[in-house]
Amino acid sequence: MSPNPSPGRLLVVDDNKVNRLLLGRGLEQQGHRVAFAENGRQALEMLHQAEYDLVLLDIQMPEMDGYQVLDKLKSDLDLRDLPVIVTSALEELDSVVRCIEMGAEDYLTKPVNPVLLRARIGASLEKKRLRDQQRELIRRFATAEVAQDLEESGFALGGRFVEATAMFSDIRGFTTLAESQSPADTIELLNTYYTLMFEAISGQGGVVNQMVGDGLMAIFGAPLPLENHGEQAVRAALEMTEMVDLFNLDQAAAGKPTIRIGIGIATGQVIAGYTGTQRRATYTCVGDTVNLAARLESHTKVAGVPILIDEVTRQSLSEAIRADDLGTVAIKGKVQEARIFSIPIGQKV
Amino acid sequence: MEGQGIIDPKIYNELKELMGADYVVEIIDTYIQETEGLIQQLPQALGAGDAATFGRLAHSIKSSSASLGAVNFSLQARELEMLGKANDLAGVGAKLEKLTAAFLLVASRLKELRDEP
Repeated sequence: MSPNPSPGRLLVVDDNKVNRLLLGRGLEQQGHRVAFAENGRQALEMLHQAEYDLVLLDIQMPEMDGYQVLDKLKSDLDLRDLPVIVTSALEELDSVVRCIEMGAEDYLTKPVNPVLLRARIGASLEKKRLRDQQRELIRRFATAEVAQDLEESGFALGGRFVEATAMFSDIRGFTTLAESQSPADTIELLNTYYTLMFEAISGQGGVVNQMVGDGLMAIFGAPLPLENHGEQAVRAALEMTEMVDLFNLDQAAAGKPTIRIGIGIATGQVIAGYTGTQRRATYTCVGDTVNLAARLESHTKVAGVPILIDEVTRQSLSEAIRADDLGTVAIKGKVQEARIFSIPIGQKV
Repeated sequence: MEGQGIIDPKIYNELKELMGADYVVEIIDTYIQETEGLIQQLPQALGAGDAATFGRLAHSIKSSSASLGAVNFSLQARELEMLGKANDLAGVGAKLEKLTAAFLLVASRLKELRDEP
């Protein structure tokens, strides 16, 4: 049989040595790397010591049987997504059903048919690869807590009203900047910039949910509730401006252009939910609060200050943070004028 | 031919082709050694009235024996497995003796096959 194009690291758990040899041989012939455990206890030890892509699990074993292993795996945050294929005799269908209910992904009957073995292992590894990719994407775009929430909620696409704080941020004069340097430099600058902004935002419990060109949108208080989301957002904004200052020092030292950012923050009710399709969904917030935050961000240019917040956010701030009242201004798309506040940067909070 | 019924030639030949002749030698030797060990543990479990262990041991014998083509022997082991699971070990002694005797034939037939060119 030809070697598998995408080999995996497999753990075969079976108390019968002949079964281990037979399965192991079949899998090695298909190009996989195989390790063996003689019972459940040994398997769990090995799974905690090294990383595997898939487990082939016998049900009836001494010391710790397959059910107990599944139970332990499924209650272990690090191991619960590891795919398990149960190996059993044809007549043990009841046991297989119980294992599938406990979270096993698939099953194979012994004696194992090599064609089925190849197909099932291939499908399981492929699914795992997709899950890992998805997790990596979420990890990149959200905090650990949110990523976990998304996985646990099974990516439900429904929407709901939540109290949250929306933040918009972008780079001032970015077009001019991009014209003055090579495309490679621009992309590198953007990547560094995003890395810094992500750190500041997730450090305060926020989630970056949109990035367009040089602009980004972040939400504080959704999808997971966050105490003092208004103040957290303002703290993140202050950190973002500090990071930009540090970044500028590096840029200047390297003879490269420096940047300035503008940030708008508003708090209130937002409609939050996952939009898109099951395959490609993003967490989105829409509503007046979100629009106001976007308007405040663009108003920073007019006001000539880096951070602008609305009145609700101002009210949520503790005394530790200074905010200057800039009075009321007309906001595009709003009937009523909005009272806005500037957060002076460089303040120690 | 004598011994044909002990090991199903179709299953055995498929296994040999799949695993390679060298590897089959290793599998046969391991099977004989392991199964001997399992069979020796059966009277102990029976003596201790430990039906669960008795059933599990018989299950293990059943499983690997089927893979090597020892179909009838595997069915005998299955019968013991079921009795163990049903916690019905009374009168199982005679069946255990039959299983032990049957294994000698399985082992000797497998050794013949192993030593075939």
